[in-house]
Amino acid sequence: MHIPDGYLDPISAGVTWAIMLAYGYYAYRHSELQKYMELVLSLAAAIFVAQMLNWPIPGGTSLHMVGGALAAILVGPFNAFFVLLLVLLVQALVFHDGGITTLGANVINMGVIAPLVGYAAYKALRPRVGVFWSAFVAGWASITVAGTAAGLEIGLSPWFPYGWTISVPAMAGWHALLGLVEGAITGFVVLYLSKRAPEYVRL
Amino acid sequence: MIALALISPIFGVWLANLINYHEPLDVAADLINQAANRTILNDTRYQMNWTPFIDYTVPGLPDWAGYIVSAFIGLAIYLVLYMALVGRRGRVKRTS
Repeated sequence: MHIPDGYLDPISAGVTWAIMLAYGYYAYRHSELQKYMELVLSLAAAIFVAQMLNWPIPGGTSLHMVGGALAAILVGPFNAFFVLLLVLLVQALVFHDGGITTLGANVINMGVIAPLVGYAAYKALRPRVGVFWSAFVAGWASITVAGTAAGLEIGLSPWFPYGWTISVPAMAGWHALLGLVEGAITGFVVLYLSKRAPEYVRL
Repeated sequence: MIALALISPIFGVWLANLINYHEPLDVAADLINQAANRTILNDTRYQMNWTPFIDYTVPGLPDWAGYIVSAFIGLAIYLVLYMALVGRRGRVKRTS
């Protein structure tokens, strides 16, 4: 899901960077970074390694875990923004996985949309369907919506106005399917932590 | 995390090569370029690269070994950040 350099025109890149910075300021004001600093850094390290595991679908495509819903359930969506920001910064600057011009878009997809969607889904569903299934749906929904947003961003190129009609269905469809892996991992990790170390689960 | 780093080449290199790894994003970009009959979306990461560790490789090492070393480089960065931010906070608390 990491959009590389060259996929966004300068205006889209500038707008997404501005949104990232504005949301980052808002998230900083509403986060509890001092309280959760250890967990934020530990989660960033864990998600960084987890994102290196690509899950292949034979005959189709493959994806890696994003971890936005998991981070949001564990530390809240605003602290989760900084978890994913740290992951994406190291990936872009050290391993050139995701571009610099597209960092804003990547952070919006994986650090803003995925945690907010995952957090909202988990909060809404947990009283009704329990920990595992609410975390499963949160993980699935977070990557599906974030993937759709990435499709919209790369499809909105002013050089080819109809691009989004192609990219959005492709991204949404594959991510809805591949999100089952994200959902399963999120569900099992949250269920395990809820039973063994509930102090690490904020919701 | 160390165990995950050690097994990461199974997923990131071996299985990726087995199925000719490509993400949905690559699929969508290819479809857009085909529909437009020209290159709209052009991945420029190799034209303007600034790191020797591009795509989790390490110069001189086979892909699988580079992948493991890359995982440990990433973890080392977070460890340094942890020591700098959390350790510094601990020292400030002790001195106040």
